Formats: sequence, C-alpha cells, structure tokens
Amino acid sequence: MIEIRHVSKTYPKAAEKALDDVSLTIPTGEFFGLLGPNGAGKTTLIGILSTLLLPTEGEILIDGQVLTRKRGDLKRKLALITQHNSLRNDMNLDEIMELQGRLYAMDREEIRSRSQELLAFGGLAEHRKKTVRMLSGGMKRKLMLCRALLTKPEILYLDEPTTGLDPASRRQIWDLLRGLNRDGLTILLTTHYIDEAQSLCRNVALMNKGRIARLSTPQELIRELGEVAVDAFRDGRTESAYFPDREAALRYTAGLTGNFSVRTTTLEDVFLAVAGRGLEAK
Amino acid sequence: MHTKTDMFFRGIGTVLWEKWVDFKFEWKKITASALVSPLLYMIALGWGLGSASSVTDRPYIDFLVPGILALTTMNASFAAVGQPLNVQRLFEHSFDHIIISPTPMPAYIVGQMLGGALRGMYCGLLILLLSLPFGATMHLSPGFFLVMLLNGLTFGGLGVLAAILATNHADITRFSTYTILPMTFLCNTFFPLDRVPKWIQVLISILPLTHASGSLRAIAYGGRASWLNIAVLAAYAAASMLAANVVIVRRKNL
Repeated sequence: MIEIRHVSKTYPKAAEKALDDVSLTIPTGEFFGLLGPNGAGKTTLIGILSTLLLPTEGEILIDGQVLTRKRGDLKRKLALITQHNSLRNDMNLDEIMELQGRLYAMDREEIRSRSQELLAFGGLAEHRKKTVRMLSGGMKRKLMLCRALLTKPEILYLDEPTTGLDPASRRQIWDLLRGLNRDGLTILLTTHYIDEAQSLCRNVALMNKGRIARLSTPQELIRELGEVAVDAFRDGRTESAYFPDREAALRYTAGLTGNFSVRTTTLEDVFLAVAGRGLEAK
Repeated sequence: MHTKTDMFFRGIGTVLWEKWVDFKFEWKKITASALVSPLLYMIALGWGLGSASSVTDRPYIDFLVPGILALTTMNASFAAVGQPLNVQRLFEHSFDHIIISPTPMPAYIVGQMLGGALRGMYCGLLILLLSLPFGATMHLSPGFFLVMLLNGLTFGGLGVLAAILATNHADITRFSTYTILPMTFLCNTFFPLDRVPKWIQVLISILPLTHASGSLRAIAYGGRASWLNIAVLAAYAAASMLAANVVIVRRKNL
C-alpha cells in the first residue's frame, strides 16, 4: 500500500508550490491514474514516490514504513518508468538489463533468464545486441518497461508511458499493463491520454495546481459531471453542458439555436472541467 | 535477503562492471586520448626545454615523468567519472535509476572512485611505457602504484562531486578549469616547489596533487613516500567520498 501524507514540494526560486498538501492512499493491487494539465504536479509526485525527489514537507509510506533514499528494502519494491528516455545510450539491451539486475543484487543466472523472458515478451529479443541509440522510440519505451519488470517490483510507477508511441504500440503496452495488474502488480500511472486512464484505471485523481481536485472512479467522476454532454457551437467556440440523462439533454437542446451535438460524457470532459475551473480561479 | 555488507560490495562490483562495459566500448579512444598531452609534455619539456637542464642533480626528464604520471592519473580519473556521470545525470537521465535502486549510495560512489582510479592507473601505466624511449630512469615499487591508486581515488571522488553539483554540461569543464588545470601546472609537476615564493608554496602544499607528485618522485628516485603525503591523499579521497554522499542523499532535487 502507498500512503502519501501531507506532501508538499516547493522548487528553489519557484513562486508557487509544485505540490500543496497532497494526501492519498493507494491500496495494494490498484491500477491508479493521476491526471492533470501540464504543471499540475503529477511528475513531481511520481518523483517523490520513487525517491528521485525529496518532499519539502510530508512523507511517503510503503506498506506502513517511511520511504527514504536509504531504505533499500522499500526501494526494492518499486520500479519507475520515467516520462523521458532514461537508458544508457551506448549499452546494448542485454547490458541494460544486466545493469538493472546488478543494481538490485540479482544473481547472474536469474538476470539472464528473466531478461530473455522479458525481452521476448516485449518483442525485443532479436535486438538484444543493438545499442540503445539504434532503437526506435517505441522500442525504447518497451525496453524501459522490460527493465522495470526485471526486478519483480510490487509497485510500478509509470510517468506518461505511451507518449510518442503509435496507436498499435500504445494498445500493446495497455495489454501488458492490464495483465501485470491482474497478476497483482500495483500500478500508478500519469498520462495525458485521458482514454488511456479511462480504459486502464480503476480509480483516478485529477490534479490541478499541485492539489488533488477530484478522486474517484472514472465512472463516478463522469456521473458527477453528467453522463450526457451537449456541445453547442457559438461564435467559433464549443460550449459544453452536462446532464444526468439523455432526456434532460434533449430538453436543453430544444432551446438551442445553431449547431450542436449530443454525446456520452468522457473522462476528458471531467478533466477539462477541472482544469478549466482551475484556470478560471487563477 | 542480502545483508548491508553484501549490498555494499555488490554495489561496488556493479559500478566496476559498468565502467568495464564503458571501457570495452571506447578503449581505443580512451587509450589514444590519454597519450596525447603527456607525449606533448615529454617532447616539449623533456626533450625540448628541459634537455639541457637538470633538477636536484638529476636529468630533468627524471623529474618530469613522475609529475606527468601524477597529473595523468589525476586527469584520467577525473574524466572517467565526472564527464560520464554528468551526462548520465543531466542528458541520459540514467542516473535516476541509480538513485531509486536499492544499491547503497556510498557503494555507488566508492565504485565510481575505484573505477576512476583504475582508469587513471591504466593511463599511468601507458605513460610509464611511453617514458622509456625518453630515457627516464625510475625505481618502481608497490608504494608507487599505491600512490597512483590514492591519487585516482581522490580525483575520481572529486569527479563524482563535480558531476552532482553541476547544473549543466559546461559546469564540468568550468570545474576542471578552476581545479584540475591549476594543479596540472603548479603542484610539483613541472618544476620544484622551492622555486616559487614561500606563501605560494604553502598554498600549493595544501593541494592533493602536490602530495601525489612528491610521493611518486620520491619513490622514483629510489626513496620512500612520506606517510604525510599518503595520509593527505587518503584524507582527500575520504572527504570527497563523504561530501558526494551527503550531497546525493540529502539534495532534494537531483
């Protein structure tokens, strides 16, 4: 279980807090999504959860124990896939995997057998002897996933894991993640792709300006906003209104002039509503 | 479950393995670049300017080669750690995975220092071979190599510190300009310290390379390294290791 207790983070020379008193509990086995506009604090929170960054205030508990950079036993449970490529460019795939295994004190034979298994699972087996700089962006993302899974973590943090991938690769990674979560891996995901969160996550937190603005299941967040959306096009702008059911939406459209459309509300509408309110408040 | 001691030694082994992988990938470039400056110093200062001069009743080349060995060990150890670690931290971001791994940070730092020191010794051995055609005569002993190792550990440690403190790639070059370059020329490498004013001698004697070059020369002349020199080098190595560890473990935004 991951417990985030009153975590705040202020970067040097920054006028505003990147995280402002964030508290959150993520149970074991959860597939949890962190959504929010750029600068909402998602990457900072993932950084703190993985000890890459230290909080200005507050603490992180993993299975009831305070996480620090010195707690190797707790760090062993975690794995991180960063937003950007974080691989040694001049190492080949076998060396990347071996380095990771050695950092986690795995035995050579275990590293070798599990690397073979994971690289095959990621469709990278035939590229084992290529250096990272020779791989495509999609291959690098898959290699980062293989590397993260090598050490059999209990918790996986994914920071924008499918950014820059083609739709087929995205779907492939989604399937991999679903399978891993089914097998008991706790996953915390940040993403800009709302469909990704809606498809994968059981619970999501919507972040804005370093705070958690909403926390619930995607379905519940949609229900709160209204399950039917009406988009009306006025003066070159789209204005959306949300209703609990189709009848209420149709009653509303009776009073509209000009073009409009009626559709099912998505998590993206919730995201835009939360982010929009944040911007208005500013 | 691994014990803390086991994790510590495995951590050192991991970094040395990583350094070996890097070396295998670039050994030709490493070897060639390690030879250029020392070769130029030996030709320009040993054969050229210093051919007709002597220092303390010995040919200048005998004085020069231990100094070049000291500065080569320093440069190679610093470069083997500072530049790659800086790239891994700021450009490749692969250092992120070191921080979040269970490998103890002191083990990682000691591994980097040892890796740097071994690279320094490799380059030093190349210089020893290179000095043969220049007619340098030297006594070698285990103490000679111990001093090279300590010198390498010191500057490998400074390489870690520089790489962690640097906020961009140019900072490493600047750090080198302000620390490594002055020591290259001042620290008992190309001329005896008694030729500069007393107050400058005092300043120079604080710097670690002075103790490395002094010890290497004393041994090369058939004597022994002073324990003070060894202790100062060991203290510098330990201080750089501790400073790097404190910075990495406590810094909130690496």
